[in-house]
Amino acid sequence: MTQNEKAAAAKKRSHAIMIIVLVLLFILFIIPFILVVINVFKTKGDILSNPMALIGAHGFTLQNFPEAMAKMNFFNVFKNSLIITILSTILTILVSAMASFVIVRNGKWKFCSGIFALMVASMVIPFQVLMVPLVSVYGGIFGVLNHRITLILMHTGFSVSMATFMFHGAIHTNIPLELEEAALIDGCSRWQTFWKVVFPLLKPTIATVTIIDAMAFWNDYLLPSLVLTDKSLYTIPIATQAFYGTYSTDIGLVMAALLLAMLPILILYLFLQKYIVAGVTSGAVKG
Amino acid sequence: MASLSLKHIEKIYENGYHAVHDFNLEVEDKEFIIFVGPSGCGKSTTLRMIAGLEDISEGEFLIDGVKMNDVEPKDRDIAMVFQSYALYPHMTVRDNMGFALKLRKVPQAEIDAKVDEVAKILDLEKFLDRKPKALSGGQRQRVAMGRAIVRQPKVFLMDEPLSNLDAKLRVQMRTEIAKLHERLGTTIIYVTHDQTEAMTLGTRIVVMKDGLVQQINSPEHLYNKPCNLFVAGFIGSPQMNFLDAVVEKKGNDTFLDIAGFPIKLPADKAEALKGYEGKTVIAGIRPEHLLDGRGKEKDFVTIKAPIEVRELLGAEAYLYFTLGGKQCTARVASDVDLYVGMEGTMALDLNKLQLFDKETEQSLLWKEW
Repeated sequence: MTQNEKAAAAKKRSHAIMIIVLVLLFILFIIPFILVVINVFKTKGDILSNPMALIGAHGFTLQNFPEAMAKMNFFNVFKNSLIITILSTILTILVSAMASFVIVRNGKWKFCSGIFALMVASMVIPFQVLMVPLVSVYGGIFGVLNHRITLILMHTGFSVSMATFMFHGAIHTNIPLELEEAALIDGCSRWQTFWKVVFPLLKPTIATVTIIDAMAFWNDYLLPSLVLTDKSLYTIPIATQAFYGTYSTDIGLVMAALLLAMLPILILYLFLQKYIVAGVTSGAVKG
Repeated sequence: MASLSLKHIEKIYENGYHAVHDFNLEVEDKEFIIFVGPSGCGKSTTLRMIAGLEDISEGEFLIDGVKMNDVEPKDRDIAMVFQSYALYPHMTVRDNMGFALKLRKVPQAEIDAKVDEVAKILDLEKFLDRKPKALSGGQRQRVAMGRAIVRQPKVFLMDEPLSNLDAKLRVQMRTEIAKLHERLGTTIIYVTHDQTEAMTLGTRIVVMKDGLVQQINSPEHLYNKPCNLFVAGFIGSPQMNFLDAVVEKKGNDTFLDIAGFPIKLPADKAEALKGYEGKTVIAGIRPEHLLDGRGKEKDFVTIKAPIEVRELLGAEAYLYFTLGGKQCTARVASDVDLYVGMEGTMALDLNKLQLFDKETEQSLLWKEW
């Protein structure tokens, strides 16, 4: 075997190993999803007797959906989740995009760099550390728990650092100062320059932040469960709790609820997917 | 169109760096002014102060007699073409060109008509619906120009607009800009470090160095009558040859001893060297004023040096040789049969000889003009 053939074989081998690892990882991640999808169309008995069967002994059924929807008050919790997720995401994007614009363009001003350093530092504090004081302050002192707006503001507060960090990178590397200067000369005010020139160019980062934050807000269980105790304000993750009984869990209904909870965010992901990679890498690599 | 007045303009940054010193310039309507100089000489800073993108530390800037120091860029009625073109990537060519008019709430039909008209002038009609990323460098450059023209501003500012283009396109666009100036009759202030652009485009050139204006005059004047060593060296390509020369007085005649060659000066030059007897001055001669001196010994002062390098450029050739320890260049016709290793005889056109004080580097002939 010549040296070239040896090198080619080694290359082929490492490629094959990489593919195998990727396939294994893919299977690992997709199995729970497949289990949800195949079991959602089975009766409770069929699920318990053979969770891996594609179709249960009692055949294909859609019964789990109306039952789950009724039990969890689906339309109400869906509405709550939607309002909270959309408003929190929009607020996060607006606040962090504007903040990062000011921070980047006034980088020499120590106040701005100090605020940015604080924001980055705050990203390393785990939520669990803040959880108890947060609830005791907002519940005990201000008495503002059980309001959607409280949760929306908390979501925004917790996610704004990471989003600002991402927008900071994107503006710093991808938006040349000359563009803003051209806009100023063309007749824009600072405010117009941001909205008409800078913000539209942040589209990939906006898409990334939207996906990351919307997913986090939509799926969040811990914070809503602390802030929203009134049943009429429940979001989907809290509402699924209704299916977990003390002695038994209606697994078919859980699956139906999970699938219903998953769908909107999955659709959003598919819709924005093409921007994700661009958004994650923008700011990381100087173009 | 407008006249501009810059009076005692200074730019001092917060860190104390003095970028522009006492800049004075009166720009008349329809003039094509070029700011030229090496990197860091303050030419772009001055342009940015005119645009309103940099604060003026001291001095007064007026457009048509109205003080503009603190007026916002958008209210100065100027348009600027940037080195990087600064086209809005998310807008089509049409939107890029009409953006400023849209901001001024001009009716859409009027915007479209103006954009179409300018696109026709710049041959951009086919590209109006494209985004900038789908255009070549030259096309982007034309869009940047178009964006400025559509507004019909009082003053055009151009910050090295051709420096991102390849050599061929640069020459082509240079001609286009000259034609546009002729056609639109606008006041243009143009920044470049390329002295060829400066010479070919400008009605007047402002030569700058280290934040200081060195000389302001027409291209011909700067070329033939530079005020100091820097201007003489900066304007012209290949640059002027500079040689140390000792001034000697023999009877009524004044001689310059350049690398052992005694050169008798004409009366006007000799006059300029009064008081320099025995001292060393710098003699400057442009490459095209060093002629093939063979057979011209009677009519011209000649010097001899072996040819070290010959560069053929087509119609002409550059001959490189060393004289008095300094590298010199002669620009001759390509059919001159002087080659590497041959002893070159160079005739000096003494009428074109420049003389500079070695200490101050100021032209000794300056007072004549």
